[in-house]
Amino acid sequence: MPYPEQMVAPMRAELTSSGIQELRSPDEVDTFFRDGSGLSLLLVNSVCGCAAGSARPAILQAMEHGKRPQRFATVFAGQDLEATARARELMGDVPPSSPSVAVFRDQELVHFMPRHLIEGRSPEEIAGDLTAAFDTLCS
Amino acid sequence: MGTFHDTRDPLHGITVAAVMGDTVTVGRCHERTAGSVVLVDADQHTEGEGGKTNAEYLSRAARFGVWKKHDRLELDAAALTSLAPLKDYFSSTGGTVVPKESAPPPPEAGTAEPQTESSSPVSLTPAAVAEVARLLAAEEKPDHGLRLGVAGGGCSGLTYQLEFTPRREGDLVISQDGFSIFLDRKSVIYLRGVSLDFEKGLGGKGFRFGNPNATNTCGCGESFAV
Repeated sequence: MPYPEQMVAPMRAELTSSGIQELRSPDEVDTFFRDGSGLSLLLVNSVCGCAAGSARPAILQAMEHGKRPQRFATVFAGQDLEATARARELMGDVPPSSPSVAVFRDQELVHFMPRHLIEGRSPEEIAGDLTAAFDTLCS
Repeated sequence: MGTFHDTRDPLHGITVAAVMGDTVTVGRCHERTAGSVVLVDADQHTEGEGGKTNAEYLSRAARFGVWKKHDRLELDAAALTSLAPLKDYFSSTGGTVVPKESAPPPPEAGTAEPQTESSSPVSLTPAAVAEVARLLAAEEKPDHGLRLGVAGGGCSGLTYQLEFTPRREGDLVISQDGFSIFLDRKSVIYLRGVSLDFEKGLGGKGFRFGNPNATNTCGCGESFAV
């Protein structure tokens, strides 16, 4: 059951205020991937403080890296259920995980960071793993 | 920043792999006691199931996670042969990694007897042993031992603690050359493999920690003057 919107609004704003596009419906997910090419990063956001509380600032840090995906978007697991389900369809047989980070080349999943590689770690550590992936994917 | 449950077990909320016989269970650790381990959002795999070995299953689980088949599973702690964070199995090359060590046992509420380990998670050099023994003798408090621990803070995120105290409930107690070393349960995971040395010399004298697991250290947090 989704949490009250006023509770999760700051968790949305933490990302959208830095230019990350929030996808609230299946149509918005489809449009995002249909209208863009190249590398895109999708954060599956979550209310979980232990993991998402580090994932969000990690994404913002990783966005400062020289080599990075051209586009950043997010869906909110447990809140925007249909949008999240549509985004997960694009991840093929990867199990649902939130928070998680998926990097797509066009519409193909090329990198995935599941929750267990996020939880219990600092934003700096997570951002370090992401930027290492960016270096590989953008070379 | 994340919200961490300081009052809970260090594995609380962490996705773990629990090995019991030929069965591997992967799930988020909710609770550990001396008798059981409770995992939520869990999946189980038995050696050879679906044509996959446990190693192959763990390799994929570590890269992508697992499909939840059980909301909650309670495992017999005594039957587990290993329990480690799933991320410890992760290899960026896709191969299977065997964690170096299983997670330390859970904290035990109301433990009357001290917990002891035959294989100590920490080691002391002869110089450190001699200096600790000398200082404890000088204190003339026979119930005191060497307490080693970690606390948040310092340039590198964690700082070592070293003091002489009586045993506290829940401590792991290690016998060492006539005195006791006390480790609180939350610190053990950070102290495994740590060595304590005592250095004399022109740079002053002091205890010095060596940690093979540390990825970053700072000079100011390493050495303790006494």
